[in-house]
Order: sequence, then structure tokens, then C-alpha cells
Amino acid sequence: MALLEVKNLKTTFATEDGLVTAVNGLSYAIDAGTTLGIVGESGSGKSVTALSIMRLIQRPGRIESGEIFFDGQNLLTKSESEMRHIRGNDIAMIFQDPMTSLNPVLTVGEQISEAIQLHLGYNRRDALEKTIDMLKLVHIPSPDKRVKDYPHQFSGGMRQRVMIAMSLSCEPKVLIADEPTTALDVTIQAQILELMNEMQSRTGAAIILITHDLGVVAEVCENVLVMYGGNMVEYGTAQQIFDQPKMPYTQGLLSSLPRLDAEGHERLVPIKGQPPNLLRLPPGCAFAPRCAYRMPICDDPVPLYDFRDGHVARCFLYDERSASQRPIAVETAPRVSLSDVAATPQAMAEKQP
Amino acid sequence: MSVLQEAPVTEPTTDLVAVQDLYKYFPIHAGLLSRHIGDVRAVDGVDFSIAAGETLGLVGESGSGKTTVGRLLLRLLPATSGAAYFEGQNILKMTRAQVRRLRKDIQIIFQDPYASLNPRMTVGDIIAEPLHIHKLARGKDVDAKVHDLLRTVGLSAYHANRYPHEFSGGQRQRIGVARALAVSPKFIVADEPVSALDVSIQAQVVNLLQDLQDQFGLTYLFIAHDLSVVRHISDRVAVMYVGKLMELADREELYRQPLHPYTQSLLSAIPIPDPRVEGRRERIILQGDIPSPVNPPSGCRFHTRCPIAFERCITEVPEFKSYDGHYVACHAVEQLGGKQPEIRPTTKARTVPVA
Repeated sequence: MALLEVKNLKTTFATEDGLVTAVNGLSYAIDAGTTLGIVGESGSGKSVTALSIMRLIQRPGRIESGEIFFDGQNLLTKSESEMRHIRGNDIAMIFQDPMTSLNPVLTVGEQISEAIQLHLGYNRRDALEKTIDMLKLVHIPSPDKRVKDYPHQFSGGMRQRVMIAMSLSCEPKVLIADEPTTALDVTIQAQILELMNEMQSRTGAAIILITHDLGVVAEVCENVLVMYGGNMVEYGTAQQIFDQPKMPYTQGLLSSLPRLDAEGHERLVPIKGQPPNLLRLPPGCAFAPRCAYRMPICDDPVPLYDFRDGHVARCFLYDERSASQRPIAVETAPRVSLSDVAATPQAMAEKQP
Repeated sequence: MSVLQEAPVTEPTTDLVAVQDLYKYFPIHAGLLSRHIGDVRAVDGVDFSIAAGETLGLVGESGSGKTTVGRLLLRLLPATSGAAYFEGQNILKMTRAQVRRLRKDIQIIFQDPYASLNPRMTVGDIIAEPLHIHKLARGKDVDAKVHDLLRTVGLSAYHANRYPHEFSGGQRQRIGVARALAVSPKFIVADEPVSALDVSIQAQVVNLLQDLQDQFGLTYLFIAHDLSVVRHISDRVAVMYVGKLMELADREELYRQPLHPYTQSLLSAIPIPDPRVEGRRERIILQGDIPSPVNPPSGCRFHTRCPIAFERCITEVPEFKSYDGHYVACHAVEQLGGKQPEIRPTTKARTVPVA
């Protein structure tokens, strides 16, 4: 059984302009010891997914429906005090901006040891000792002195290490990292990713890495979930997603990236148009308005199509019915060829319950 | 701080832009009497030139001073010393009236498309403002010109009556580009123009900038921290670290044969969006943090993190030297006569190469 399983999650925000559906029927699972990358652009719902798992959605946001199973228990039926015990202890989270997630008026040592006292029941002195050990673990130089420093006395990269030390101090089974390196420079990003890798092999935690950087995903993730307009549009192993992307959005993302190892000066192939307005999501595929392969059928709700070995994509191109419907517009063909589309009409049944 | 060096007002050169020994120190004042207690050495002796029609990429991590260089070229900030020539005229010696005229030729595109457009002006007014300031159009011509510019950057004429908040990030960046183009500049400083944008939108703006360069013969200084984007758009690339240039070379040369240990580790730190390539890669992971420009390390700025630093690197500032047009400031490279010093990777390839 998967360590963490999200089923049909729907999270909405009631705004002045109407109901924004940030996450719209998302389902996925993650096993212990593995790293899942959740990729998507701003507004795709990737951070809201994470906050929903932590039950940190605040008004006007609301988890409308769905189930989130952790170790077989549904987190959405837990009371707030039960959740408080799970947060930090079993499921911990690292945020993008380490400065705003640390308390500026408490020393770093006070903040980490507070969590240790609270969750592991250590006394003050033992908690302080454990704090110093944790800071040493994340390679903070002279940790016995630095515990007495305040967050502003640390650099951005060091603050993110402090956050990692804090979130790992109670040895959580699931670590959710929401854009943990986006605010950092590349040489510092490399250090932090290496550190997370090291921590995982030590504790065997499952990591959910939320990012918009496909390079980071290729570097650290076993599995990849691509989100668009609040739902999963493709899921597979990193190898499957990068080698044989099925959904035109995934293909578009990959071909719009300038690559460090690219040959010559080839022109980038951008995805046309703008990301969807979550107030007015199209009835069918959210990507259809930008898609070069758009067909009339794309206005219907799209099921998931299974490509075997766990690789799934939400796209009508893989439906038998699409053979009779010519794509409406094919203006820019993605770099990845879709020639195998007609040959594999493996339109399988909806995978999820 | 050294006295302002006497630089000539004009300089015969074929380059459109030439920067010589450019310095910018921001003084730090503290205490009751605001005593001068030190300087942020944002730009600490920088030399480069840009030929007409060329794109020079300027890369560096935060605090490297790359943005300050761009602002000095537009005289948005006064330089501490040095010279910066545009078409042979020293920008740093210009009078206010000359600077005003200069900004008809040099324009800037800012990083944050949310902060760089006045929310109370319509898009049409934003783009028309430089036309009025430089008296380039009047009456109906203004509207025609604005509509033309909107179409040039891939928007529509009817967008002129809307306000910035009605646009997405990518569209706003297009408005910023249209505003810069309004005065038909020769040279554009693009300061991280795509870093605030989503990946799928980044490519749109990068392509737009390339098309405009072809169409109008523009020259760019493209400032960014993302080496993949810089590689894509630049003809030559300069690498900056804590106020100094470490390396400058043709794009192909720099990415194929990076000489400076900093450039090597920077390139090695960038993840490539392909798990096969990533699994095979060995990387150099630098220790420690980027030093503060208030108190930059002695000798070579990079010695505190350099895996191959030796005695001389701590005491002596390396010269920014040319090896067949490939500029590097590194003692190790100098000892090897312009060859690439070998740096042992700190991590091994994770997976066995897949066929």
C-alpha cells in the first residue's frame, strides 16, 4: 500500500469574482523512499495540493471533496489536534521562502528545539543537543554557536538548510518541499538538492518535490506528475515523461526549454497563448485552447489513458474516436513527434475509481 | 576609494558599447553622525565591449553586481569611477541634457513586469509616454505608433485602452518591450526579462526578443542568472562574481570549454531536463556561500569556494587576461597558459548509463 494517497481531491477558493477551483479531482499516490516531482506553472494548483495534504487551507479556501490517506488513515476526517500531531511529526513541509517561514524574533535554536520538544517529548537540554546535531547534519559550520543566532544572521541558502533541519528533526515519513530552491542561486541549489538526497537515503522518507524547474525534476525525481489547470494531465516515471511525453502540454513544456546541452542555436518552440483562468476553466481539457491538436471532442471531460507501466495521460489524442476527428489547428508542431499516436489507440478505461 | 580616474570624453572604437574599468561602490553609513563605515563594492573594476548587433549575456548569482552594471550604462545610477562609451561618447561624463538624449538610444527592460508598469496608466499611455518625452510623435500619430508597437510585440491594438492588471505576466513583459521599442533604440539592456515568467511563456518572450533584434538590428546586454537562457540568446557571454568579471568568451567556446573554476562549477550545477543525461553527470558542488560584496575576499574573489585555490589566489588579484579572445581572471589558468584546469567532481554519476 502506498504511504500517501490522494483521491479525487477538490479544493476551491471563494473569491469576489467567483469560485476558483484550484485543485479539481486530483488523485495520486507515493511510496516510502521515493521522490515524486509535481510540475506545473503558476496557478496549476501544485502548491494548493501540498497545503491540502497538510490541512493548511484557510478561508476563503476549502477542501470540497476527496480523501487523503496517510498510512491508511484519512487525513481529511482528522480533528485539528490530531492534525497538529501529524504535522511536523509524520508529514513535514519546506516552503519556498525560508525567510518568511522562520520566526524573526526567535533564535534558530529555539525554533528547532521547540519542534523537537513538542513532537518528540525531549526536555530542553536534550532538545538543544539534538538541534545542534541537526544543524551539523545540514552542514552549518560551527552549529553550537549558530543555534543562538537569529534567522536574519543567516544567508538564503543557510536559512533553507535551517528549514530542512527543522523539518527533518522529527524524522517525518513524508517531506513536502514546495519550490525549495527557487529563491536560491544555482550553486546553492545544487547544495540543497544534494542535501535532500542525502537525508532521504538516511531516513527513507518519501519526498514530494513541487517545482516548475524540469531540470530539477530530472535530477532528483523517480516519478513525475504534471499538473495543468488544477488537475493531473500526465503521470509517469521521469524516464517516461522526458522520453515519451504523451500529453501535448508536457511535450510543449519540454520543447520550450532552452537546454544547456543543446546543439547550436535552434529556435525555441513556445506554447501559444496564456495559462487558463481558473474562474472560467473550459468544460473539457483545460489545455485545449492552447493545444495545437485540438479536436471537437476536447470539450468533453477527459479520462486518463493508460500507456502501461504506470504511465498515464489525460488526452483525447489517445482515444479511438480521435481518429475520425481531424485536429482543429496544427500551427506549431511540437519537437516531439506524435507519429506513434495513431498506432497506439490504447484507449483504456478510466484508471481511477 | 580611489579618486575618479580621468577618462577621455570620447573614444575611437568600432564597438557600440565599451566599458572600461567600471566601479560602483555604494557607501554604508552608520551611527548618529552617519559616518562612512564601508562600501558595498557592487561593481569592482569591470571591462567589456559590445559590437553593434551583438548580444552580450551577463550572468552571475545574486549580489554579483550584474544589475548594477546595466543601470550604470543607462545612468540610472552614477558610477564611482571608470568609463562607459556608447558610440564613442562617455556616458558617465554626459550632462543631464545629453543623458536625456542618450535614453532615446539606450532603453531597459526590467525583470518584474508587475512592478515596472504604472498601474494607473493605460497600456496606451505607458507606451506613448516615451514618444511624448522625446517628441517623436504628435496627435493621431501617437495612437498609430502605439498600435503599431503593440502589434510588433504580439499584442493587439485594442489592448491600448486596458490597464496593466488586466494582463498576465508574459503579456506585461511584452508591454515593457513595446515601451522600450517606442523610441527606436539602438541598444537595449534586458535585465532578467524572463526570470519572472512561467516556462512556457519564457520561450515566447525570448523568441520575441530575437525577432526584434533581427528586424531592427538591436544590440542587447542580456542580464540573467539562468545560464541556459543566456546560452540560447547570446553571441558572447560574460560571467560575473562578487563585482568582478571572471570570464568572457564566445558562447560556444564558453560552454564547451569553460576555463574559470567558477564557470565550470556554475555550469555543472545547472540541472539538465533529461534524466538520462542527469544520471550520467558528475557534478562539482561548491562549498559555502557567496561572499558579501561589502567585504569581498582578498586576492581572487572566488578563492574561498574554489576547489583548486592555492597560496597565490589568496594574496594576489588575478589579471583579466585574454587567451585568443577568451578572457579569464584565474591564476591556475594562467599557469597552464590558457588551458582548462581540471576540477575533480564532488558527486559521482548516480545511475549506470542507459543505452
